[in-house]
Amino acid sequence: MEYPFWDVPLLGGGMLIGIIAILHVFVAHFAIGSGLFLVLSEIRARRTGDEALLGYLKRHSTFFILVALVFGAISGVGIWWAIGLVHPSATSALIHIFVWAWAIEWVFFIVELLAAFIYYYGWNRLDPRTHIRVGWIYLAGAWLSLFMINGILTFMLTPGKWVETRSIVDAFFNPSMLPSLVVRTAVAVALAGLYALITASAEADESLRERVVKYASKWVLVGMTVIPIGGIWYISRIPDQAREISMGGAPVVTLFAAASVVFSAFVFLATLAGPFLFPRRFHVTFAFVIVALGLVTTGVTEWVREAVRKPYIIYDYMYSNAVRTEDVQNVWERGVLASAKWSLLDEQDKQDLLRMGEKVFRFHCQSCHTVNGFNGIKFAVKGWKKDFIDMQLQNLDQLKGYMPPFLGTEEERKALTEWLYSLNNPVEVQQAASR
Amino acid sequence: MPVVIPPPDPAGLPAPAWLLQILLVFTFILHILAMNLLVGGTTIMAIGLRKGKHSPFHAELAKRLSRALPVVMSFTITLGIAPLLFVQVLYGQAFYTASILMAWPWLSVVALVLLAYYGLYLVQFRPDWLGRWVTPIAWMSALFILLVGLLYTHNATLKLTPEKWAPMYDASPAGLHLNWSEPTLIPRYLHFMVAAFAVAGLGIALLGLLARKRGDSWGDEAVRYGAKWFIGATLVQLGVGLWFLFSLPSNFLQSFIGGNTVNTVVLWAGVLAAVLGLLLVNRSLPGAVLLTVVAITLMSVTRHSLRQMYLQPHIDVNTIPVNPQWGVFIIFAVLLVIGLATVGWMVWQFYQAGEPKQAAASQ
Repeated sequence: MEYPFWDVPLLGGGMLIGIIAILHVFVAHFAIGSGLFLVLSEIRARRTGDEALLGYLKRHSTFFILVALVFGAISGVGIWWAIGLVHPSATSALIHIFVWAWAIEWVFFIVELLAAFIYYYGWNRLDPRTHIRVGWIYLAGAWLSLFMINGILTFMLTPGKWVETRSIVDAFFNPSMLPSLVVRTAVAVALAGLYALITASAEADESLRERVVKYASKWVLVGMTVIPIGGIWYISRIPDQAREISMGGAPVVTLFAAASVVFSAFVFLATLAGPFLFPRRFHVTFAFVIVALGLVTTGVTEWVREAVRKPYIIYDYMYSNAVRTEDVQNVWERGVLASAKWSLLDEQDKQDLLRMGEKVFRFHCQSCHTVNGFNGIKFAVKGWKKDFIDMQLQNLDQLKGYMPPFLGTEEERKALTEWLYSLNNPVEVQQAASR
Repeated sequence: MPVVIPPPDPAGLPAPAWLLQILLVFTFILHILAMNLLVGGTTIMAIGLRKGKHSPFHAELAKRLSRALPVVMSFTITLGIAPLLFVQVLYGQAFYTASILMAWPWLSVVALVLLAYYGLYLVQFRPDWLGRWVTPIAWMSALFILLVGLLYTHNATLKLTPEKWAPMYDASPAGLHLNWSEPTLIPRYLHFMVAAFAVAGLGIALLGLLARKRGDSWGDEAVRYGAKWFIGATLVQLGVGLWFLFSLPSNFLQSFIGGNTVNTVVLWAGVLAAVLGLLLVNRSLPGAVLLTVVAITLMSVTRHSLRQMYLQPHIDVNTIPVNPQWGVFIIFAVLLVIGLATVGWMVWQFYQAGEPKQAAASQ
């Protein structure tokens, strides 16, 4: 509400973040899990003098560098870009509350990157002991950067005692931080195996392929077994309302939550029935199918995790539309357009209800709704009479628990009602009808 | 139309403004050094690939650069994270607003960097597979990186001119604006990019020096070739730098030519360091490198002073309340030392181990 609102047509800003974030999450967890996968497998290969396995690990690490270090790192920066553009106030809050936590994450990230390069370029250069040590350092750096970002991310849903104490320790070590860390670590292990299925299935040597496929599938199964345990713990720690939204309170979210469970089961069963039981017959196409299932699982799960936070972007602190809870009274008294200076309200707007209504929509509603695209408001209000729209607006947070209260003045509500009504009933039609 | 400035974040600053400013400028210098090697290095590699068809020296140069550049790219990005963090802490009001106005071009930076990065890896790993496409791919990476620099200059200049924001936003909220009307845009951009070629030239000369120490005769020519880039670019810079200086609004210009003693001394000491580096490069390469780092440091301080002058009427970081988090800051400082020591240990192990014992399986 303090910043200009970036109008992303059809998709909406939230969806834009979602697309970048889901791809990032899917690669970043692989990047972390692969640290463990590479090091443990290398130790095993060196101990047993398994040159074939060592050769595979070298080839796998090229794939790892190209996917994890390039796409993983840049898509992570991409999320930062996108959230700053779409939710500047919330981004600013996270930056200011957690500056030194971000700075610490940056240190871990530097260690992680350099270790990855030295591990990769050091295969034939470092002695095995040092090489494995560098691998451990990579894993430590990667997992610790997850540790940091996980604390910040979970804070958004469960800020816990921070709401009163405003202490960064309370903010970081918040109620859902540990269970989320367990889930994400397990996801990292599963994804390390999942990606390894791709490279393993592309190996030319048949006996090596069979061996590594079976081995990688165990990583998937172990990771996928731990995820639901951590998941239940996580769900027990999130706010009641968030749980309700995912279990019936909001049908779409519930549907996606169910999809998350179903697709997780698909990944597990496909891995069990494919690479684990029949590693010899495993094919690279099958590997991509399981990976695609994994991506869908990640996508719907992260989507639900974001959706249950409504009506907040930072729970109990800031609503999705960037109104801080402590500012509610203030905005309510002054109105939306007077509070949102970037509405650049002029005389023309004040005289034209439709123009005014559109601006109210932009600064109060558009951070979640597009006009006629994703979560489009035009479809949401289709068939609604003006009275009904007005009633909905007056009781918005009561009728829909996942929406923030409408804070506009009476005039603004009237303007928004007119504008919403005009979306499905163009003014010309209204005039013709009244004639 | 009024000048609209978002209020500072109610959380306040997590440390005194001076400390955050020092961290901002210091990490910016690190980023800019890596960026210079990347921008200049990628372009010189693309040139080298073409010239390498007739010259073994250039073929070898392009090959060595192609091995180093992906790592340089990675560090340019990573070292850029810290200054961007501190910019958002101190000047978020300006940063987010300017970025939203040019949202799509600004977001495209991410895609351009990704493509340029993969281009560099293709050139390194698959030159045979690319065939005659190697040079065009290298040029693609170079041009994308140069374009990213231009978008950064748009963002940086738009950030400094809050009076432009409201009219721009009133014209369109779609995030498609750029800052072409800004008179300092082009000279500022060229000032940064020309410097990149000078620094990359020094980098190549250093590569040559290291090669020479190992008794590799390629090194002699690399030292000469790198120095040529350094000298040429620095000479061009004398003109571009003056152009940039005189494109500034006159009150800012005045402060750098006597109006403000500190600003004037810092700027011209920086110029002096660059000129001395120019004179020294053929006699002592390490001396020239040191002087260039000094010049870049002083110029980065100058850049910061200029930002303060631009924003002073609208945003003053010294008036934002401070809620220091010293405990976490100390943890950060300790971890930074441990982290750098770990990095140092790994790099030491890597160099001590010497050249690969056999050809890497992956290459």
